[in-house]
Amino acid sequence: MLSVQQAGKGCGEVLASAHWVKHLADMSKNTSDVIIIGGGVAGLSTAMQLAMRGTSVTVLEREQIGNGSTGRAAGLLGQLRGTTEHTRMLMDGVEIVKELEAKAGVEIYVQTGSVRVAETPDRAQEITDLVEMGHSINFDIDHIAIDELTERMPYMHTDDLTDACWCPTDGHLQPAELAAAYHKVGRDHHVRYENSCPVTGVILDGNKAVGVQTPRGEFHAPVIVNAAGPWSHLVASLTDTTLPAAALGHVYLTTQPHPDHPVDRLSPGFRNRHHRIYGRPENGGLLVGMYGEDCPVHDMSILPADFDMSAMKVRRDDINLALLIHAAQQRFPWLNERTPMHITTGIMTFTPDGLPFCGQLPDHEGLYYCTGFSGHGIVQSPAIGLIMSELILDGKSTYDIDSIEADRYWDIPGFLDREEIQQRCYTMQGSYYGRIEGKTANVKQKDT
Amino acid sequence: MKILVPCKRVPDPDQKLRLNADATDIDGSAVTYILNPFDAIAVEEALRIRETAHPEAEIIAVSIAPAEGETDLRTALAMGADRALLIEHEGQIDPWNVARILAAVIHQEKPALILMGKQAVDDDANQVGQFLAAQLGWPQATFVSKIEFTTDGLRIHRETDIGIEIIHVTLPAVVTADLRLNEPRYASLPSILKAKKKPTEHSTPAKLGIKPEPRIRLLGMELIDSQRTCEKVTTATDLLDRLRESEVIE
Repeated sequence: MLSVQQAGKGCGEVLASAHWVKHLADMSKNTSDVIIIGGGVAGLSTAMQLAMRGTSVTVLEREQIGNGSTGRAAGLLGQLRGTTEHTRMLMDGVEIVKELEAKAGVEIYVQTGSVRVAETPDRAQEITDLVEMGHSINFDIDHIAIDELTERMPYMHTDDLTDACWCPTDGHLQPAELAAAYHKVGRDHHVRYENSCPVTGVILDGNKAVGVQTPRGEFHAPVIVNAAGPWSHLVASLTDTTLPAAALGHVYLTTQPHPDHPVDRLSPGFRNRHHRIYGRPENGGLLVGMYGEDCPVHDMSILPADFDMSAMKVRRDDINLALLIHAAQQRFPWLNERTPMHITTGIMTFTPDGLPFCGQLPDHEGLYYCTGFSGHGIVQSPAIGLIMSELILDGKSTYDIDSIEADRYWDIPGFLDREEIQQRCYTMQGSYYGRIEGKTANVKQKDT
Repeated sequence: MKILVPCKRVPDPDQKLRLNADATDIDGSAVTYILNPFDAIAVEEALRIRETAHPEAEIIAVSIAPAEGETDLRTALAMGADRALLIEHEGQIDPWNVARILAAVIHQEKPALILMGKQAVDDDANQVGQFLAAQLGWPQATFVSKIEFTTDGLRIHRETDIGIEIIHVTLPAVVTADLRLNEPRYASLPSILKAKKKPTEHSTPAKLGIKPEPRIRLLGMELIDSQRTCEKVTTATDLLDRLRESEVIE
C-alpha cells in the first residue's frame, strides 16, 4: 500500500514538473491552452476551474483585475430563481464558494437569510407561488409572520405589508473577496494574469479563433473566452459577430451606520419588488439598490480606452438616484436625500431575457462567450466557471444549459441590430422587478 | 436675507485627464464636469441656514462658465437654491478676475452673505474668496467648519493647522467652506422636479461692465504620470507572495 502511494506521488511530481517546464516555455511565447478576455468574476472563475483541471490559462484584463462590474456589485444571493435548474446552479455555487473560502482563507459568503415582502395582492401571490415552488424542490423557504419580520428588521417599515417569505440559506457574496479568491486559487494553479492589456483584435485562421492582438503583442490559444462584460459586444464585433447584449447603468446607495437604526451585519437581505428595491446590511449601514423602469444606456464604444469604472460618479441631481432614494424611503422612512451615504454606480451587461450567454456561436470555432449576467454575475459566477470549463474541456455540461446557451438568439430577426438589441435589453431591465412572477403571471399570460 | 453661492464647475477629479494638443489646458472634450465639491458644501450650508436661522433667505447660485455650464448650476437649483445666474465666459480666467466679476454681481444683488468653497478642486488656487473680500472691503472667514448666527453677525469655527480658531465676523461677509462644514445632500425627487421651473438668468462679464485683465498667464501644463496599480490582498501571506513575485523581497 505504502509503495503504491510513494510511486503515485513520485509519478505525480515528475508530471507536475514536466507540466511546469511546458508552462514556462508557453509563457515566454505568449501561448496557452485558453485565453480569457476580461478579469471580472466570470472570467476569473472560468480561469480557475480550467486551471484546476490542468489547463494553461491566460487572463487578459483591460484595466485591473476586478475593476469593472465586479468591483461595483452588491452580490445579493437569492437562490430561488425562475427554474429549478437555475436554482440548482446557485445552490451548487454556494458549495463551490465554501470550498474557495477554505482554500483562500477568506469569508466570501455571508449567510444572512433573505426575505421578500409584499404589500399588494399580486406580490403576495408571487410569494405564495415562490414558497410552493421552493417546497417542490426541497428548498428551505417559508412564509414569515410580519411580527417576526419586524423583529428581524426593526429598521424597516412593515405596517403596510401583507405577506413575506424567509429563505434562511440565502445571503450575499462579498464581491472583492470572491474575485480575490478566484485570483489566488487560479494563481496557485499557474493562471497567468495580464492587467492593462486590452484586446484590440482577434486572430482567425479560417473560421477558427487562434489568438488575440493587444498593445503588448499577440497572445495565442486555440480557445478564447469573451468574458468582457459590458465590453463583450465590442469584443464580439472584432470578429463581425453580433452579440445581443447591452451596457446599462445601475446605482445603489449605502448608508453610514445610523445611531437610531442600526443594521446588524447578519440582518437579512431583502427584496421589495413593488418598490423595485433590494438590499442588505453593509458595515452597520444599509445597502439599497433599485431596478427602476428607467436606467442609463451606455455606449461603451465612446468611452475612453482607459475608462475606469471604479471612478464613476452619479450627479447629486441624478433622476435615477432620486428615484432610488424615494423608493428606499417608502420602506425605510428614516432614509432620505440628506442621510449620510455613499453612492455606488457602475455598468451592468444585460441581455434581452436577463439570462447570460455561455458557449460558442456558430460563426467561429474556439470562440466562447461568458457574459450578459444582467445584474447576477457575482452569484452566478461559481457555477458558471464550472459550466464553462466543462463546455471547453468536455464539449458538454453536467447542467441543463438550454436557457443560457450563447446561440439562443442566433440569426433571429430583431436581435441583429444594435439599437433594437439595446431597446430589448433596456425593456428587460425595466421589467425585471416590474413584472409579476410565478404562476399568477403564467395564468395571466394564458388569459391574454 | 440674500445668500449668494458662487459655484464652479470642475472636471471630475476621479477621472483620468488628458491635455489639449499644445498642452495649455485640459482637453475638455473628454471630460465629465461636476459641481466643485467644496461649492456643494457651500450650497448645503446655505440651505441649512434657510431651514433654521433664516427661513426667509433667498439663495442665489452663480457660476462663470461656458453656456453648457448651466447643467452644473442646475445641480445647485435641484439641491434647493432659489435661482441661478450664469455669467457666460469661454476659456480660462484667473482668480483676481473671477473675484472682479463676482464683485460686480454682488453690487447688483446686494447679498448679506457670500458662501463659497474654500477652493476649487481643479486648480486648487484658494484665492477667490480672499480677493473678493478685499475688493468688497468685507470681513472674511476662510476654511470654515461651523457657522452660527449671533445678534450682530456670525460666530465661526475655522480649521487651522494648530486647531479650531473661533472668530466673529459682522455681515455682510465672505465665508469659505471647508470639508467638515457639512455633508451635502442629494437632490430629492420633488426638488428635482421643482428645479425645472426655477429661473436661470444669463449674463456676461461685459454686461456686468467687467473686462477681464489677467494677472496670471498660464504657460503650460504637464500631467503627472501616476500609474495606479492597486490590488487588494486578503492575507499577509498573500501580500508576501505578491512582493516576492514582484521581486521586491526575496
